[in-house]
Parts: sequence; structure tokens; C-alpha cells
Amino acid sequence: MTEAIEVEGLVKRFGSFTAVDGISFTVHQGEVFGILGPNGAGKTTTMEIIEGLQEPTAGQTRVLGMDTHRERAKVKERIGVQLQASAYFEYLTLTEILNLFGRFYPRHLDPGGLLAKVGLVDKAKATVGRLSGGQKQRFTIAAALVNDPEVVFLDEPTTGLDPQARRNLWEFIQAIHQDGRTIVLTTHYMEEAQLLCQRVAIMDAAKIAALDTPHDLVRRLPVPYEIRVTAAGSLPQDNLAGLAGVKEVAFDADGACRLRSANAARTLQALMAWASEKGVALAEVEVVPANLEDVFLALTGHQLRD
Amino acid sequence: MLLALTLANLKMILRNRQALFWAMAFPLIFVTIFGLFRLDQPPTINLLVVDHAQDSLSTALVKNLAGLERFEVAEVQDEERARRDVQDGEVGYLLVIPEGLAEKLATPGGNQPVPIELVYDRGSQTAAIIIGTIQRFVQETNQQITHAPTVLELKAVGVQAKNLTYFDFLLPGFVGMGVMTYAIIGLSSAMALYREQKILKRMLATPLKVRTFFAAQIMAFLGLSVAQACIIVAAGVLFFNGHIYGNFLYLLVLVVIANVVFLNLGFFVGAVAKNVRAADGMANAISMPMMFLSGTFFPKESLPGVLADVVEFLPLSPLLDAMRGVALDGKAFWQYPTELAILGGWIVVSSVLAVRVFRFS
Repeated sequence: MTEAIEVEGLVKRFGSFTAVDGISFTVHQGEVFGILGPNGAGKTTTMEIIEGLQEPTAGQTRVLGMDTHRERAKVKERIGVQLQASAYFEYLTLTEILNLFGRFYPRHLDPGGLLAKVGLVDKAKATVGRLSGGQKQRFTIAAALVNDPEVVFLDEPTTGLDPQARRNLWEFIQAIHQDGRTIVLTTHYMEEAQLLCQRVAIMDAAKIAALDTPHDLVRRLPVPYEIRVTAAGSLPQDNLAGLAGVKEVAFDADGACRLRSANAARTLQALMAWASEKGVALAEVEVVPANLEDVFLALTGHQLRD
Repeated sequence: MLLALTLANLKMILRNRQALFWAMAFPLIFVTIFGLFRLDQPPTINLLVVDHAQDSLSTALVKNLAGLERFEVAEVQDEERARRDVQDGEVGYLLVIPEGLAEKLATPGGNQPVPIELVYDRGSQTAAIIIGTIQRFVQETNQQITHAPTVLELKAVGVQAKNLTYFDFLLPGFVGMGVMTYAIIGLSSAMALYREQKILKRMLATPLKVRTFFAAQIMAFLGLSVAQACIIVAAGVLFFNGHIYGNFLYLLVLVVIANVVFLNLGFFVGAVAKNVRAADGMANAISMPMMFLSGTFFPKESLPGVLADVVEFLPLSPLLDAMRGVALDGKAFWQYPTELAILGGWIVVSSVLAVRVFRFS
């Protein structure tokens, strides 16, 4: 099967500034692919070059096997695009906008159905200005689906939304995915990438630092787990660092111990043996897996959001 | 696709009530102001008369003067005060008739001319006309008294069949001005807004062709400019007694041709300006001087030499010239090949310019 997206050696320079520095990746059909990174990492530029909105300085992008820049018109017919923070016409109703945009394509979906999909049927005759932030984002997603696209690009779809609206939007994105569409989204929320994406490319300073499933990205960390232990009485500190898999030991102010482990299963077994041998009554044992935030920190040496 | 986008554009223009109102109101305000002022009728002339003679001849003279059109004649006694009034500019003219006018003239052998004094403000622009009128009047009276034969007679033949007024001259100007300002300011700020809000970029992400986008904008605005021209002319003709002597449809043809240039300038400004406010300022900076220079309010012939020649080539100038030819002289638009050529040149140049600089993001 043709890959949904192929990017090869993509470079984009603006004067002396390099926004995208020779990246390559592939997005499979039917997958939700995330580009995770801080602001200014080059996510939007990468996406807009794939969409045919910007010219690359070097490299190639293909969508559904078609070169974005040589067969731009054909590519545009088969992709749906939601731009970061873009607006729609002020003086048209939602239905009118969807009808208008639909006319730009040889094949288009019915506005009523699209609005139903994103839960905006009762706003069909309203203008964009009358929508809340979350509704606006949902509408831009509906507008991106107007041509029944095979590949949908969502650029920071939940930025600026409150947690409730964000969760709500995630459901819509999952529903769109279940229609069999390939989705590429950018985000700087790691929980969003973790929840929605089958694979994530971590982008920082114009380059892809890592690309894998969220699970494997975390597992490949040198210390993917943290085991938090508290005892009924005081916790003896000797030998904890010597337990199987433990890389680092730290103590919290309340006396709880944090064991950073490369292998949670082995560390837990060793911990239990150690406790019975020492006669320590453990009060709580908690295994906390690392997340993409930790992956990002480990890969780049700085936080995702400063 | 083109039709759908054109209709959508028209819908958006019509629904933006406030912008639309001002686009229509701006030229209409001018129509109203110039329609209300009676610019063609020179002001009434206030003439004070101090008649020291009070005899048959002097009273006849005053009576005849009072009968003249536009003359507001008032007899006063206090000569000193009357002179002061002229000095202060409160009254335009003062005529002093000396004592015993009829007597002096009746005196046989009295060949000495009798002085009648006219006091006026030297700064007054109409003074020459008034002096001429009174002089002619006095001359005629002279002739009657001396029974001198009339040797030469002026026969004035008015050839202007139509009663062209200043307002008639202005009306096509208002149409041109209104269409131009709306096209440049309206389109450029719409484009700047679309870019600021990334609407243009969003459209670029669809298979919509750039030329279709341009064409739809131009068609919507052209349609609107025709409506605008109709409204301005209707207001001028119905409410302020303006006249269009030529074919109104020819006017619309000219409006549409010239508006292509203005719209291209609108695209240009919308592309060059960084945001809506900048677009607005730039559009005003282009359209306002053009409005005055190209002779919306007064004939551009009154501009100094080189400037007058340069101004001929501004896009509004040929439009106004040709429109006035159609409106006032009843000509056809194709009788203005030079003007059409200038507009044609502008269409080419401005199209290239607009397409070159236009950006979607």
C-alpha cells in the first residue's frame, strides 16, 4: 500500500534561519501521526510544506504517492487542512462556508452531515463569530473534512482550549480516525500525543529527535519507570541502590523513596525480597511510568514548554 | 465555482452593513453638501444708496437699480455710517448721488459731468462685475438724457442649449470618486483582513485557482460599483436636480472599465500592507490626493503646468473626463479613445503589479 506521507531530506531556510533541517519520515495510511515539539521547533513549517502551502528549500514530500509540488492540485483535492489559528469568513453562516469550500473540490460532503459529525448542527445558521473557542476548533475540523479527504492535517488543534473542550475535541479526532482517515497533527501537549497518536515524531530545533510509538519512546528511555515506596515506620536506606534495575535513588521530604528503574518488574521483585529480609513493612508501592515529557527532556536536555 | 465564490463575496459585502453604509454614504454626503449649496447662483449684491438729490432722476435711477436681478438695494440717510459699513465689509457697495442731480443736468450748457460716487471694497472679487453693471446703467441714462444715437448694439446670443450647472459637473465626479474609494479602500482592507486571519492561506490549501479567486473578488466589486453609481446618480438627479444628458449605460461601462484599475490597486495595497490598519492608511493616501487632483471638485486645468500634465495620467482623470463627456455633452464612451487608452494601459500595468505582489500568507 502507498504510504500516506513520505518526507525525504526536507530543508527549509528563511534567510540565515533554518526552520527545518533535513528531516525524513513516513506516515502510514490509517494512522494518527503526531509531531510533538515546542513552539518554533519547525512543526508548522514541516506540515505546510507537505500541504503544498510553502516551498521547501531542499528535499521532497509526497502525499499518497504524489509529489506535493509537482502535483499540487491533485494533492490538494485529497487532503484536508486545518491551519493553526485560522479564521473563516465573518459574514457567512457555517453552512454557507462549508458549501463554498465544498465547491472548490470536485467531490464534497454535505454540510449538514459534517456539522452533525462535530456536534454543531444547531449552529448551522450561525456565523463563526458566534461560536465558542471549542466550537470554532470543531468547525475548522469540519471544514477540513469538506472534501472527504484521505489525509487530514491538524495544526495544534487544541491549543488555547480549556481541558474540557480539549478532551471533547480528542473524541472528535478519534471519530474522524475511525472513518479510516490518516491524521497528522502537531501539538505541544504530550498527553495529547500519547492519547491520540499511534506514532510520534519528537521535533526540536528543526530536527526530529526521535520517532516511534509513544510506548516505545518511553520504554527506550534509560530510566523509564519510577517506583515510589513508603514504609509503615521509617525506611532503612541501606542497599536500596543495589536492587536489581535501580539506577538512582532519591528521597522526598515526607520520607518516601523514589527508585528510578530500568526494569520495573525486576526492581519490584528485588524490593519485595529486600523488604521481607529486612523486616520492613511497606505501606505503599507505586509504579509511575515515564511520559513523553520525560522523553523530550532526556532527548533534548530541556523541557517541552519553558 | 467562480459564480459561487462571486455570490459569496457579494453576500459578505452586503452583510457587512456598517462598511457598506459608509461606502455608499461617503459619496452621498458629498452629493448632499454640494446639492444643498446653491453654488451656481452668485450671492446677492447689497447696495446702499445715499440719495442727496431726491429728485425725479435720482429716484428713477435707484428704482431701476433695485429692479436689477440679484441687487438688494437699500436707501440710507447717514452717509458717514454707510461709508464705514463698506469699510468694515458689512455692506458690499455704496452709491452716493450728489445733491440736485436733475437740476445740474437741466442747466443749459452744463457740460460738466455730474459725479456719482461708488464706494466698494477693493478686495471684493465681484467688484468688477458690479462696477461694470452700474457703469453701463449710468451710461444708458447718459444717452437718454443727451439723446445720443445708439451706434453699436451688442446682440448676445446664448448658444448653450442646456442649462449646465456646477452640480451637473460634479455629479460624474462623485460617481468616479465613490467607486474609486470603495474599490481601493474596501478591497485592500478586505484582503489585508483575509491574510491576517489566514483565510487566504486556508483557501490556498484548497484546489481553488488563484485566478478564480481574483476574478470572483473583481466581479463582486464590479457589481457593487454599478449599484453604487446608480445610487449616486439617482440621488443627484432626484433630490438635487442634477442632470445626466448622455447615455447612462455608457457611464456604467466607463465605471466598470476604470474600476478594474482601482480594484487592482486595492489588491496591490492589500498585499503590500502588513495589516488592516496599514492597508486603510495606504488606500486613503492613494485615493484622497487622486480624488482632488483628478478634478472631482474643480477642473484640473487650474493646476500649474507640469502637474496638470502628470495628473492627466492618473487613472481617475480619464474616467472623469470621459464620464463628463458622456454626462454633460451626450457623447459616447468610444469617442474618448485617449482616455480609454490610458485606462487600458493602467489595467495592464495594475494587473501585472497586483498579481506580482499578491501573497496568500
